[in-house]
Amino acid sequence: MNRLFVCFHGNGRRKQASNQGEGITRQSCDSIRREMLQCIFLLSDSGEVMLEKQLTGHRVDRSICAWFWDQPDSFKSLPVIASPTHYLFQIVRDGITFLACTQVEMPPLMAIEFLCRVADVLSDYLGGLNEDLVKDNFIIVYELLDEMIDNGFPLTTEPNILREMIAPPNLVSKMLSVVTGNASNVSDTLPSGAGSCVPWRPTDPKYSSNEVYVDLVEEMDAIVNRDGELVKCEVYGEVQMSSQLTGFPDLTLSFANPSVLEDMRFHPCVRFRPWESHQVLSFVPPDGQFKLMSYRVKKLKNTPLYVKPQITSDSGTCRVSVLVGIRSDPGKTIESITLSFQLPHCVSSADLSSNHGTVTILSNKICTWTIGRIPSDKTPCLSGTLALETGLERLHVYPTFKVGFKIMGIALSGLRIEKLDLKTIPPRLYKGFRAQTRAGEFDVRL
Amino acid sequence: MPPPAASARYPSPSQPSGKSEVTDLKSQLRQLAGSRAPGVDDSKRDLFKKVISYMTIGIDVSSVFGEMVMCSATSDIVLKKMCYLYVGNYAKGNPDLSLLTINFLQRDCKDEDPMIRGLALRSLCSLRVPNLVEYLLGPLGSGLKDNNSYVRTIAVTGVLKLYHISASTCIDAEFPATLKSLMLHDSDAQVVANCLAALQEIWSLEASHSEEACREKESLLSKPLIYYFLNRIKEFNEWAQCLILELAVKYVPSDSNDIFDIMNLLEDRLQHANGAVVLATVKVFLQLTLSMTDVHQQVYERIKSPLLTLVSSGSPEQSYAILSHLHLLVVRAPFIFASDYKHFYCQYNEPSYVKKLKLEMLTAIANESNTYEIVTELCEYAANVDIEIARESIRAVGKIALQQYDVNAIVDRLLQFLEMEKDYVTAETLVLVKDLLRKHPQWSHDCISVVGGISSKNIQEPKAKAALIWMLGEYAQDMSDAPYILENLIENWEEEHSAEVRLHLLTAAMKCFFKRAPETQKALGIALAAGIADFHQDVHDRALFYYRVLQYDVHVAERVVSPPQQAVSAFADTQSSEIKDRIFDEFNSLSVIYQKPSYMFTDKEHRGPFEFSDELGNIPITPEASSEIVPAQQYEANDKDLLLSTDEKDDNKGLSSNNGSAYTAPYESSNISSQMQELAISGPAASATTTQSSFDFDDLLGLGLSTASVPTPSPPLLKLNPRASLDPRAFQQKWRQLPISSTQEYSVNPQGIAALTVPQSLIKHMQSHSIHCIASGGQSPNFKFFFFAQKEAEPSDYLTECIINSSSAKAQIKVKADEQSTSQAFATVFETALSKFGMP
Repeated sequence: MNRLFVCFHGNGRRKQASNQGEGITRQSCDSIRREMLQCIFLLSDSGEVMLEKQLTGHRVDRSICAWFWDQPDSFKSLPVIASPTHYLFQIVRDGITFLACTQVEMPPLMAIEFLCRVADVLSDYLGGLNEDLVKDNFIIVYELLDEMIDNGFPLTTEPNILREMIAPPNLVSKMLSVVTGNASNVSDTLPSGAGSCVPWRPTDPKYSSNEVYVDLVEEMDAIVNRDGELVKCEVYGEVQMSSQLTGFPDLTLSFANPSVLEDMRFHPCVRFRPWESHQVLSFVPPDGQFKLMSYRVKKLKNTPLYVKPQITSDSGTCRVSVLVGIRSDPGKTIESITLSFQLPHCVSSADLSSNHGTVTILSNKICTWTIGRIPSDKTPCLSGTLALETGLERLHVYPTFKVGFKIMGIALSGLRIEKLDLKTIPPRLYKGFRAQTRAGEFDVRL
Repeated sequence: MPPPAASARYPSPSQPSGKSEVTDLKSQLRQLAGSRAPGVDDSKRDLFKKVISYMTIGIDVSSVFGEMVMCSATSDIVLKKMCYLYVGNYAKGNPDLSLLTINFLQRDCKDEDPMIRGLALRSLCSLRVPNLVEYLLGPLGSGLKDNNSYVRTIAVTGVLKLYHISASTCIDAEFPATLKSLMLHDSDAQVVANCLAALQEIWSLEASHSEEACREKESLLSKPLIYYFLNRIKEFNEWAQCLILELAVKYVPSDSNDIFDIMNLLEDRLQHANGAVVLATVKVFLQLTLSMTDVHQQVYERIKSPLLTLVSSGSPEQSYAILSHLHLLVVRAPFIFASDYKHFYCQYNEPSYVKKLKLEMLTAIANESNTYEIVTELCEYAANVDIEIARESIRAVGKIALQQYDVNAIVDRLLQFLEMEKDYVTAETLVLVKDLLRKHPQWSHDCISVVGGISSKNIQEPKAKAALIWMLGEYAQDMSDAPYILENLIENWEEEHSAEVRLHLLTAAMKCFFKRAPETQKALGIALAAGIADFHQDVHDRALFYYRVLQYDVHVAERVVSPPQQAVSAFADTQSSEIKDRIFDEFNSLSVIYQKPSYMFTDKEHRGPFEFSDELGNIPITPEASSEIVPAQQYEANDKDLLLSTDEKDDNKGLSSNNGSAYTAPYESSNISSQMQELAISGPAASATTTQSSFDFDDLLGLGLSTASVPTPSPPLLKLNPRASLDPRAFQQKWRQLPISSTQEYSVNPQGIAALTVPQSLIKHMQSHSIHCIASGGQSPNFKFFFFAQKEAEPSDYLTECIINSSSAKAQIKVKADEQSTSQAFATVFETALSKFGMP
């Protein structure tokens, strides 16, 4: 690559000195910020508009949804779409499409990130996401959107704060039965914000018993290529916490081996400096459940399981055999082992069976082998034949095997929590630690 | 009180029949309106819910407006919210009724519950009924002074809403000044952030006609204010942080200490859990260090891992947005990402839009050290169940082959694809092998032996068929049965539906004829006859043209149709570096996702991006057309480079227009023009000897060679200020902000190139023409200069980037000007000055 290095000349600087006034006359043509998102739609999986929230004076006609829904799938699936009149951002969660419209230039990730938050908050509030839940609770959804975004700009997306402003649905009905027709049940705790520089924490929660749990939840992503080589193996992990602590607790979490961590991202509550200097997480936690940090541990050498697939084809039939076993024992039981793969389209019929576990083939040609745990006396083996469409001699398109597993009680990255300290220890404090690893994207190619 | 009707308590979710249901609701609401019985709020809630659910599914329930307003006299907050929602939806359509609403909203603005105060104020400002603005002033004024920050937050946004309804009312009430003082003194971060957002917008809009607003707007970018925000950035919520970071991007730091201070303040933002914050921070870092090459490089290293983490930890939609930005960075600095190639390996479950971007990334970062692994990985995708991804992977392998010097291993892989016997794999591979041969003819032997074994019957896709036919023609001497395969294909002329394939058949038959005349003569005859009778204009024209050239002189024909092969040194990049730079300046915006700078898709309000892409795809062939469309000019310039090195124009177009963007215009639309260009280009070689022929080449030439050969009409001469001055920071700022007004390429005369051994001499030379150099750099053969000039007696600047390649003796210049209208004149002055460089 040709890189041109540019240096500034001395004479340029001299000119600056002699002509100070020059800079003032410059025209700045920075773009004018207009309302960002103009409208949010929630669409059901049949394309029906379940909810429409206009955010600004520029009404967006809902015909845009019809336009969007009629687009060909490959185009419609893109997260950012230009329609003839608007830019559309969308995310799909559990069959519900969250669609946001704008006519102005804006950071796309901001819109997408915001929609993700909306989806998270809704699913948190409604206890899941589906068409019925949204339709039954659309008032709550409107209320939430009202607080989450004003004039097209995101406002409060912190679930703990929202929870104080808008009671979750089950609470509403509970409260109503107690104080029917009474004044606002939440106004007393409206986050004052003033004086508090911890926007994620409610003003002064009180608990009779104080509990804090730390969970290490890891997912292993791995790719084993056609030659059986482990080309990528890494762990994505999250430190999830659940805290019910009275007052204004100040916590310190330290790891026994923080050096394994890479690419960390922190919850806004984490103080940056202590981490920089001592690899210690120092923070005032939000109330309730939250993700304290996420991290990645790269270049792991081994997966706990091996998968050895073999396919030989001969005059229109393929013999398949797949072996699964433990490669390196993690010290805890590997549970819920599954193997699934898409049979190539040119396979007309399949006859597959296993010596352990169950094999199911769905009509969409997805084959799932549920193994569970590896038995001590034999190596699980899937075997059988695939018949190819007439005219095909050999198989040219090979399936990718997706491996699933779960191991409780261990973080495969090797990360260990050393201790969790509280600056002031509240009465009746209970601390708990857990760890688990499951397969993330674990692909074995053939 | 018993509920009015049992049915109202349990609204059925099924489709309501419409009018009668609405009338029903109306009477039920009316009954409830005055009631104070216990439990009435419950019944109201059910009814309200029903009304709003109708509204949501699109049934017009505006007729119950009056009843809704009457019923809203309640202390139940959920009822209030529902009512506000309803009112907000219909107030615009019922200005008379909204007067009613105002009454109760104003009352609510004085409620003792801050939440109701806030919500009422928000609804009041959201009514957006122009003739009612005077009712907003009081509540807004007291809202801004409210002791509850929630209300203040809403009031600040309310001011902005008021401004959009009636700017003068807002200004006259001196709300901007109030906001400014709130912004500087309020203790609540959200209030401060909303003030900033509102003031930015109000002052930007006012700036065009108010000196004061202009000053205020500038003051937002002043050092104390920027530091005021940056120092307390952690107090703001994540979205407000984005706002502040965007403000910081526009700030022009005073010196390098300033830059480092800001970067230190913001460094931990790179690890924020919100991707939008991370990306906004990245933008600040990149923009701040643009002028500091080595620091800029370090910035890349620093931002790399947070970005890669974001890619792999978010939802697919987030990954997509981040990958689009990474793509931009990767293309700018591939070597920095070269060792991270595994991050871009595709996982089976990823959506194809993510996979496609990852493939582009892998292509971009392939270099000597990682090519083997990357190509191995890509080859596995070729057997992927997802056909589209399999195709993309093969194209990616091809692109890597074309950008590498050592293609040994890749050629083997490509040829292995042909053995997979999958029609789409074969098709993609053939196109690639053809491109590869055009660049690396030395591989012809290996490739041809494999390609020769492919039966043309198995290839259906026009592009692949055309590629195979091209190879048959080009390497007729190496493939023993080439004439017979061609003959076979020509005999099935009628069944060949693609004009592209038929055009290639004609050319291939000609080429084959020149190499193996006796075997091909018959087939060529059939082809020309069929071609002349063809209903497709291009095919007809080409056949006739070949026929006449042959008739005129066979040797001339050979020189026209089958000149000695020349390897293509570089294929045209789809995007000029200029466009890439523009997109880079618009980092963290939609431009990055569309891979187009915003001026190409946002300027005109109701113009969708589709129309723009049409312009892009259509290569203008007349100078008049091209002068209007800057991006198209760029493309055209690229195309000309190609034409110099190849005679197969349309293939190249196919390759270059295939950049994976969803918005590229369909290739077909530009077919005709490119065909014409091809003919025109075949022309110059022959024109010297064929001028007397019955065929008028001149017309074709005039048509094909556009801007470069047509002298630009000389605009009135421009007077430049010989003592102009501009400080480097102002230059940078301008360069970032101004659009390109003109891009040109000139030849530099040999004396100039000789004099360039001392680059300073050019700087002196240009200065004598009142064009001053502000920065320069580079090494032979590439030199880069930044010049500026100023109009005599007017503070209107022209900024120029000039890249001179001393080996090709070409200078590329890009002009940005305060005054677009005179930029062409300046470009002419610049060209004149440059052309005299090196002359005694």
